[in-house]
Amino acid sequence: MRRTPYLLSVLSPALVAIVAVACPAQSPHWAYQPVQVRAVPATANPAWVRSPLDAWVLAAMEQNGLSPAPRTNRAAWLRRVTLDLTGVPPTPAEVAAFVADTDVDAEARAVDALLASPRCAERWTQWWLDLARYADSQGYEKDALRRTMWRYREWVIDAFLRDLPFDEFTIDQLAGDLLPGATDEQRLATAFHRQTMTNTEGGTDDEEFRCAAVIDRVSTTMGVWMGTTMGCAQCHDHKYDPFSQKEFFELFAIFDQTEDNDQPNDAPVLRVPSARQRATQKVLELELTALRSKWQADDVAVDRWAATARAGLVAFREARATSSVWHVLGPIAASDFHTAHATAFAPETDGVKLGADQQGLRWRDEPGYRDGKVHTWSGDNSAFYLHRTIHAEVAATAVLSLGSDDAIKVWWNGAEVLAKEVGRGAAADQELLSVALRPGDNELLLKITNGGGIGGFYFDLRASEFGREVAQALAMAPEACDDHARSLLRREYLARAPEFAELRTRIADAEKEFLANQGDPVPVLKELPPDKARTTRLHLRGSFLTPGMVVQPGTPACWPPMPADAPRNRLGFARWLVSRDNPLTARVQCNRVWAELFGAGLVTTSEDFGTQGEKPTHPELLDWLAADFMAHGWSFRHLLRTIVLSATYAQDSAASSAQREVDPQNRWLARGASFRLPAEMLRDQALAVSGLLHEQLGGPSVMPPQPDGVWMQLYSGEQWQNANGPDRYRRALYTFWRRTSPHPAMLVFDAQSREACVLKRQRTNTPLQALVVWNDPEFHEAALALAERVQSARDAGRDDVSSVRWLWQQCLLREPTVPERERVLELLREERRHFAADPAAVAAMVAGGREGAAELAAWAVVCGVVLNLDEFLTKR
Amino acid sequence: MPMQGPFYDGLAALQARRWFLQDSALSLGAFALPDLLGSDPTKRGRQIPPRAKNVIYLHMEGAPPTLDMFDRKPMLDRLSGQKCPEEFLDKERFAFIKGHPLLLGHPHGWIRAANGIEMCELFPHLAQQMGETTLVRSMFTDQFNHAPAELLMFTGAPRPGRPSMGGWVSYGLGSENGNLPAFVVMLSGGNLPSAGKALWGAGFLPSVHQGCEFRSQGDPVLYLQDPAGYDRARRERSLRALTDLNRAQEARTGDPETTARIAQYELAFRMQMSVPEAVDLASEPAEVHALYGTTPGETSLANNCLLARRLIERGVRFVQLFDSGWDIHGTNPSDDLMTQFPKKAQQLDRALAGLLIDLKRRGLLEETLVVWGGEFGRTPMNEERDGSKFLGRDHHPHCYSMLLAGGGMKRGAVIGATDELGYRVADNAIHVHDLQATLLHLLGVDHEQLTWRFQGRDFRLTDVAGKVRPELFA
Repeated sequence: MRRTPYLLSVLSPALVAIVAVACPAQSPHWAYQPVQVRAVPATANPAWVRSPLDAWVLAAMEQNGLSPAPRTNRAAWLRRVTLDLTGVPPTPAEVAAFVADTDVDAEARAVDALLASPRCAERWTQWWLDLARYADSQGYEKDALRRTMWRYREWVIDAFLRDLPFDEFTIDQLAGDLLPGATDEQRLATAFHRQTMTNTEGGTDDEEFRCAAVIDRVSTTMGVWMGTTMGCAQCHDHKYDPFSQKEFFELFAIFDQTEDNDQPNDAPVLRVPSARQRATQKVLELELTALRSKWQADDVAVDRWAATARAGLVAFREARATSSVWHVLGPIAASDFHTAHATAFAPETDGVKLGADQQGLRWRDEPGYRDGKVHTWSGDNSAFYLHRTIHAEVAATAVLSLGSDDAIKVWWNGAEVLAKEVGRGAAADQELLSVALRPGDNELLLKITNGGGIGGFYFDLRASEFGREVAQALAMAPEACDDHARSLLRREYLARAPEFAELRTRIADAEKEFLANQGDPVPVLKELPPDKARTTRLHLRGSFLTPGMVVQPGTPACWPPMPADAPRNRLGFARWLVSRDNPLTARVQCNRVWAELFGAGLVTTSEDFGTQGEKPTHPELLDWLAADFMAHGWSFRHLLRTIVLSATYAQDSAASSAQREVDPQNRWLARGASFRLPAEMLRDQALAVSGLLHEQLGGPSVMPPQPDGVWMQLYSGEQWQNANGPDRYRRALYTFWRRTSPHPAMLVFDAQSREACVLKRQRTNTPLQALVVWNDPEFHEAALALAERVQSARDAGRDDVSSVRWLWQQCLLREPTVPERERVLELLREERRHFAADPAAVAAMVAGGREGAAELAAWAVVCGVVLNLDEFLTKR
Repeated sequence: MPMQGPFYDGLAALQARRWFLQDSALSLGAFALPDLLGSDPTKRGRQIPPRAKNVIYLHMEGAPPTLDMFDRKPMLDRLSGQKCPEEFLDKERFAFIKGHPLLLGHPHGWIRAANGIEMCELFPHLAQQMGETTLVRSMFTDQFNHAPAELLMFTGAPRPGRPSMGGWVSYGLGSENGNLPAFVVMLSGGNLPSAGKALWGAGFLPSVHQGCEFRSQGDPVLYLQDPAGYDRARRERSLRALTDLNRAQEARTGDPETTARIAQYELAFRMQMSVPEAVDLASEPAEVHALYGTTPGETSLANNCLLARRLIERGVRFVQLFDSGWDIHGTNPSDDLMTQFPKKAQQLDRALAGLLIDLKRRGLLEETLVVWGGEFGRTPMNEERDGSKFLGRDHHPHCYSMLLAGGGMKRGAVIGATDELGYRVADNAIHVHDLQATLLHLLGVDHEQLTWRFQGRDFRLTDVAGKVRPELFA
């Protein structure tokens, strides 16, 4: 009797039909079968085999009539494995030491050292950030910056540093906040799913974009962990794979219960001080205690101060200040916000002329602009002038409470007393100006400049800056003051007395610094309280505007179910993803890591393990890797170690055209991998060999140089500020990532903008790439720096030939061949000759025109060629 | 034949070798290999006799008020200042309009255009060229904010992540000039489009198909210029040394990627010459500058129109111009119908008319499809945001006009119509996806066949919709 395959037995009857079409009953889809460990095959060449991995690879080669390529030489192996594991090449000294180390375990020791290095954590964080769609901005039209997201990157680096097992790595990121006794770090990890975009465009429906974010979370999770593309099922039942639209929304329901809903401030957020910040806070606490102990006052001083303040209030009362109606002139539009604010229009240059035309406009009365309220108007990049007179009967001091949307300038009796170019909404007390009321009319002129959208202002005239309570205490006769009033006055005195000004500044600074070290607000996942839980409904035709039936959280029926007692939330789901019974998670990860090392996965469609994806070339090997990965506690380092120490990995990558004819894409792995390095490694490598690389683990994103004008943007005044100093030379991992405008050199080398999860990068070969390595100032700077190093090596007594050898060792980690050496020396001679005849070119290339500049320039051209060599740009 | 020149002859020999193709199908720069990808899951290239070879697409970012340009509504003029019909507001969501808005007639005069229609008096030059164009008065879209509407227009979907129209065309047809990219983008008006660079991104297509931005300040193409201290001869000497050393590597490894890289460096070297030559407006005679209203060195729509003609002439397949400043809301003089619109009209009028005249007299108009339009329309009602006294119109997805010329389009035709108040399409509604399908059709491409397999699904420019509209072309 034939048994119903396991897969079909768990499917709902309706889905059986779908699955039956997708995969005939006798052969259920391979990727949905449990991971199986099979007996390691026998091969004709057991001596070549180092591990079961090699046995599977060799068996497949033999079946296809192929045999392994020779081992690559040891220096080349070290370059390959160092680039693969750390993203930066080894130094010539490291290569020499390794080549000299002939112990049997030399390779294993080298690999272990590489795996334990911070560079390794950085390199694999880089890999993960594409999957996490990490970015330093919100995406969509305004693409506002997220300047704190680097804290999530920090979490990933740390996870790789401590080889956090992949199952925990998964649970922390998807549901760290739901873990019993969740640590701050685990909550921070959930920023993984806060990398979704936020739309702050006017008139948009928050619910629409909240749903878009939840859909993205479903798609990303299924893509990253399950190698499954579910996007189609958002609108209708999946055409090829066994997912109904209802099942898509059952997954949606799992992610539908978080608080975030497309708010401009990315709420909810979490503030967690980093280790460094915690240490700083400790120091500051001590300092603050010491400072506060000095901030004391005796009664005599308080009384003296209160008497003066009382006199001021009395004077203001006697002045009986009365204000005229507001006179308004505007809007006066300018080409941009700054110009509107900075340009002196007629009321500034000619004075206020109420009856006459000024700036082509006429002053109008605005009796509706009452004091103590915000009044608004519209007009982008436009200035508004507001004028009034304030009459006082006697001299006194008064305080103007002002608010502005956005920039403000204030003239009091003809003198400019305030100018501030800010962007904000208007509110009370944004500016408090103490002014002298003279007897008779006082002239007040405001200029309010609006950037975009609504503009407006706030005005009120006050006797003093004191709050109501303090004013009341001052109104009492000194002897009538009770303890409460006295303590109020004491506090006010301490807050205002000039003799404490310096102390106050020091305390305020220390407090500010303490807060600055509180940890930046990082967007995180936060579950809604049960009474606010959302009811998830299917979206008919994928539109949130047409809700359909209510759905409950759950996983698709074609896979093993969640345990009956598991919570139907993100935590239960994350645990389900990394359960040993899950047929996909370990396979998908092992395949993805394989693809990263070999250029293509055992399943070449590493993004799609569904029925439309490719079948694995080595299904048994993939299962062996997956089982071994899980058996070793989901250790990433173990997985990497297993692969890079194999004989398969160590093969030479050269191949004759006949060999390439047989297996053009190297599916059967009868030679080593070779492919152009990814964007980030290209930059890191050039900085490393030229000695410019500034290694600093972690920290906020940085802005290495990019051409002017790349960040042209509509709404935001944010500017790309080319870093000077060490931040200019950090690893590419730390380069600021704005979704609408990632660093252009990275885009040319196939980085994507990360609006959504990048499951696989293309690898192209285009002329624009040649232009980047030739002409990007950063690569040219590396060529110059490399030339300097050649020079300093020459000072130690090297000649041209040994300098070329040094250069080859430095960049390519091998000796040049004789023809190579001769060709480079020919170029060097040519360049020397041409530079000798062209001092202007020397001066253009080597700033400062110092001694030996022509020689340096000639070598810089040579170094530029080496940095562009195919061998340098390629991992082999 | 899209491939020309010694570089491509060399490649043609290589292409006969299957390994090269499979390893490097994505590596051959900006041209297509339509018949060489039989086993590829994608299908592309021409399936239909083409009517146009090239496209110049002028996008007026922010959405121009086409009611005030090409679609006179006497009823609207008559009822101007009165409340709009109640039915306009039923279940309607506006970007800015609140309450019960008032109808707003055209605040400028009308003139008679060459195709007989009444046109806004602010476009006297363009009016004379209307006989060359097909005016579509019945476009509509489903998005009412700039970024999503622009994304729908140029990528077929309202969210970022899909390849752009020019990218699809580059992928399907490649370039006719090996020394220039197939898809070039140029900006004017001072601002990036709302949806940013996603409008010319490659999405999931190989990055070679992303629009190459030609800039009017600094390097015309990023990283085009050699570092200080290099002249052409020095660059050439270093290229020769590089090529010789790479040849040695090629011989050692037998890697076709190395072969391709050598070719790409040579192409890059030639681009360093061909791009500055192509964008050198100063070499144009005074008469041409007078025709377009161009001033070399400026960033302007006029300059970009002339550059577009020069690029098309040199075999660039798709030139995309974005001109910002058309978001005529009427909140102040810099976005209203009385000050800003005439300013933009003046910038457009001579430039577009000049482009059409110039293309025609050079015999390029027959093979070049010129498309002009915005991302949506504007309301027949005055926006009056927060009581603004400046005249302007809010976003309006239900109807708008676009202008097409050359490349097999009808001459002097008017397609479709809006209702008496210009609020909805009354006749022959044409969705954005239909326009996309039609543009591809004119280039000889079946929009349902030009696909790319990504994450388990075949994607195309027109998403799951789009109908070729034969009434648009001759």
